[in-house]
Amino acid sequence: MHRTAQRRIILPFLMPALLLLAAFFLYPLLRTVELSLHEFRRTGAAEFVGLKQYERLLDDPNYVNAIKNTFLMAFVGGCMLFPPATAIAWALSQCIRGERFFRFMVFAPVVLSVAVVSLMWKFLYHPTLGLINPALESVGLGALARTWLGDPQTALPAVAFTSVWHGIGLWVVLLCAGFEKLPASVLEAGRIDGAGEWRLFRSIMLPMMRDLFRVLVVLWVVQSLQVFAFVYIMTRGGPFGSTDVVATLMYREALERADFGYAAAMGLVMVVLMLGVAQLINKVMKRDELQY
Amino acid sequence: MSSSTEIAVPADAVTGSRHVITPARRGSGRRSRRPLRPYQLFFYLFLGAIALSTTSAFAWVFNVSMKTNEEFISSQPWELAERWRWENYINAWESAHIGAYFGNSLLVSIASTVLGVILSAFAAYPLARIPFRFSGMVLSVFLLGLMVPWMVTFAPLYLTMQDLGLLDTRLGLVLVYATYNLPFNVFVLVGFMKTLPFELEEAAAIDGAGPTRAFISVILPLLGPGLASVAIISFLQNWNEFFYALLLIHSPEKMTLPLGLFQLGQAADYATNWVTLFAGMMITVVPVLLVFALLQGQITKGLTAGALKG
Repeated sequence: MHRTAQRRIILPFLMPALLLLAAFFLYPLLRTVELSLHEFRRTGAAEFVGLKQYERLLDDPNYVNAIKNTFLMAFVGGCMLFPPATAIAWALSQCIRGERFFRFMVFAPVVLSVAVVSLMWKFLYHPTLGLINPALESVGLGALARTWLGDPQTALPAVAFTSVWHGIGLWVVLLCAGFEKLPASVLEAGRIDGAGEWRLFRSIMLPMMRDLFRVLVVLWVVQSLQVFAFVYIMTRGGPFGSTDVVATLMYREALERADFGYAAAMGLVMVVLMLGVAQLINKVMKRDELQY
Repeated sequence: MSSSTEIAVPADAVTGSRHVITPARRGSGRRSRRPLRPYQLFFYLFLGAIALSTTSAFAWVFNVSMKTNEEFISSQPWELAERWRWENYINAWESAHIGAYFGNSLLVSIASTVLGVILSAFAAYPLARIPFRFSGMVLSVFLLGLMVPWMVTFAPLYLTMQDLGLLDTRLGLVLVYATYNLPFNVFVLVGFMKTLPFELEEAAAIDGAGPTRAFISVILPLLGPGLASVAIISFLQNWNEFFYALLLIHSPEKMTLPLGLFQLGQAADYATNWVTLFAGMMITVVPVLLVFALLQGQITKGLTAGALKG
């Protein structure tokens, strides 16, 4: 009786949410495949062209360049992210005074809009008006001053650094959780055996958190292969295409040239690549379960 | 044996102090406060440097927002502004339309957050508490939204919005934001509802309440904390969202703050109205940081859980 009455509300309760999801998520998702098999004329009419868009991708130097930059961005960003994030998480897990304050400072950028952070760093990097070059000069490191975003050599690391600065708080919190979960008894045993803090960190904590690192690296790669706003706001893919990533290229193809079919094909190929790389990283970093 | 790398204190002094402390910490657990030990100095210096660099970035933005354009070009970046120039903020708010963007952002974020939270509360209820045949499948359709990258859907989404006549409208943006909040909200709320005892509905049914009534007067009030954290995270994400705003909104009078600031930044490259842009940045950043300062724990937890999607 009560159960049958309950059954009657299932559909009305689910419907509104499912409708929204169907209209703005599931339908576009299915339509992507269809779009990628079409070519859009200037008039807006679409023509079925089979796999032609995918063939176009193969010898499009812009796409190859964008793929290269996207993976480079993920790699460079990862190198900039994990060592400091691990160090900060280690420091925060040391029961220090003012922990709340430090956590606030590290996490604060995460709650800011990507747009604001990108704009702010665009100006911080500015060769004459910014903060970085004058600061370098004033401490006698003027030789290191660059036109950070204007130089094809430094533009990509500079953008990657900004995205790391923005997001590092999240990774610190996740790593902190990892440090807190380490079994106290094992650390204690290490201390009794006379290991210093650095030795404990290197020989016990890091190996024990290997699984966590694997998950976080996969997450980072999946997330940073989708980078868009930082690049779009700070460099627009320039100088000379040195920061052009797949997302910005897709956006240009779709909205500036109205070539939706080509953009959809790019997106699908990128997602397949992304899944492949995630699987690969998972496999390479996988190790037998630790038992303790 | 080596202690932390950058400590000038001899290693045996460090170990010595540790031996004294070890027995005491055994009972008190790892997280209790202890007297400062020398190697911890390294951690303080490290964290202090990071905090200092973050603060100085914000301080720099604030300082520039108090300068004039001429001052900004001619003075050293860390030179303090000559005086408080709050008129920059008034300029930004009025003539640079930051006020209008702020209003749009407020409208869009509140509307989409409320819509997303209400719809997901309703959708999560049957998924969590009424066993039916396709419930697992429906839930995984929702969770699919957490996993599919935006790159595959944005081009068709644009065309769909065009077909529906929702392109360049605030309503369209609200619907899209609400939709993209749904998967995370449903995920969290289903988990939350499953922790409530199942006798609640039975008791309500015995007292003569229909299932809708049972949900609204018994379950919903118990969801307070869950709804609050979902709402805070959704609001923050919608407030900060940039990409879909860029994709869907084209007319300046409908832009949200992140998009409006981006436009202002583009303009500042050519015109020379930097200080207004910096004032606009402060106007965007300060409310968010204040909210974060108040709700630090909840926001940290929620955003971290949100990051695990994908």
